Amino acid sequence: MPAVSESAAEPCETTAVTRFKILRESALDAGIGALEACWSGSATFVFVPDKGVSDPWLNRAMSLIPPEFGEDCFGLLTSGSTGEPKLILGNKARSAKLVRVLHELQDSGPVSATVCVLPLTYSYAFINQWLWAHVFERELRVTRGFSEPDRLEEALAKSERAALCMVGSQVPLLRRFFPESAFPGIIRLHFAGGRFPQEHLEFLRGRFPNAEIFNNYGCAEAMPRLTLRRAEDAPDASQVGRTLPGVEMKADADKRLLFRSPYRAVAYIDSDGFHQVSDEDWVPTGDLGEELADGSWRLLGRANEVFKRYGEKISLPQLLATVKGAWSGDAAFYREIDPSGEQACVLVLSPEPGQQELRDVLMALRKRHTRPHWPLRIESLDFMPLLPNGKPDIKGLSDAQHKRLHWRQRI
Amino acid sequence: MTNREKLQDLLQDILLLDPSEFRFDLQRDAVETWDSMSVVAIAVGLQETFGYHMSPEEAIRVAGVDDIIVILEEKGISFAE
Repeated sequence: MPAVSESAAEPCETTAVTRFKILRESALDAGIGALEACWSGSATFVFVPDKGVSDPWLNRAMSLIPPEFGEDCFGLLTSGSTGEPKLILGNKARSAKLVRVLHELQDSGPVSATVCVLPLTYSYAFINQWLWAHVFERELRVTRGFSEPDRLEEALAKSERAALCMVGSQVPLLRRFFPESAFPGIIRLHFAGGRFPQEHLEFLRGRFPNAEIFNNYGCAEAMPRLTLRRAEDAPDASQVGRTLPGVEMKADADKRLLFRSPYRAVAYIDSDGFHQVSDEDWVPTGDLGEELADGSWRLLGRANEVFKRYGEKISLPQLLATVKGAWSGDAAFYREIDPSGEQACVLVLSPEPGQQELRDVLMALRKRHTRPHWPLRIESLDFMPLLPNGKPDIKGLSDAQHKRLHWRQRI
Repeated sequence: MTNREKLQDLLQDILLLDPSEFRFDLQRDAVETWDSMSVVAIAVGLQETFGYHMSPEEAIRVAGVDDIIVILEEKGISFAE
């Protein structure tokens, strides 16, 4: 069993309006036993962050779950394409099966522990770390991630034969806090939940000299893995490798990626109500993509991150790749309508770029993209606002009051 | 800052030119980023920087940096060293 295994007497609360159980993230402050107890029980439970969703929304969502999903399921929250919460219901047996498949593909036999730098309510950390540790009886080391960098550094330094799961947007934090450190005890390094940090591989190999690095692709509805590749197996971040055994993926005429998977979520609840997912359903991942000649897959962007501007197709992931090639700090885009009514984007850098750094970014944009692709403005913030899962908080970016303006198109 | 320096800064900013690439005899044909959208941006930038709003005809007629200087000098904006 995982090292932290004390049980909680009453780990879950049962809501007044449903018979399903809610496990809040803060319940884990006393130990991981609360989660172990919920998982081991037969009743369906949902595991939710302390913030980010209101009780009325959650109670309403849970009241929509039919009785036949009352056992052997678990629920996690994600945000849908609209930014509204979405409750995803997984099946315990399906997810345990996925964990076993991942264990083989990622050669996790020698791994004795996994270090958490992401909230366990995030499906990536929940499945790839907590459930993996539970199923294979390995140690789970929960940290507060980069909010307590000293403790994180200590945990990483003390780790032996450990795995670490990160999202790409945490790499600038790694650069900021541990620019010279090396953590030889980390032997597997996983990325998921966003763009793979291909351009930082040299830096990552310096910090984790003994780690095999993997790019995991999926989505919450897949609960959550669909494809996998080793870092060295492809030259660019958009290539996500081949589908896991049993997973089918296809792109429709508009290049929207759809999947069928034996490990997928069994249902989800959004603002439109309860939706059961069947084996026959092709489920959208929310990304655009294409299959390559060798059977692997390449992402073309989030379906909501690709748009037309002056008749040209703008891909924010492609623009971000250009920016990241010239800028080692954080970078993210938010969307805006320009004065002529066209869709546009604004680039935010963090921390504030120097004059030469700004010029490097502009020159990289000029070299690789025509003017319609250039951002309306380049702004900066001292710190990039991040969601609990480590991804940039796009709404927070657009709402931030103290952005500095460095460059703008004159329209 | 002289008017020549202001114009140079403005055009470098709009056309994303490195200072080493900029010349006062630069022609539109020689600059890949001097596209139709940049024509509008140059007109807006000239108004912001020099207070002169080019007519659409003037904007379209501009074939190089020297044409911009001629137009501005006709409006009394001096580019003499």
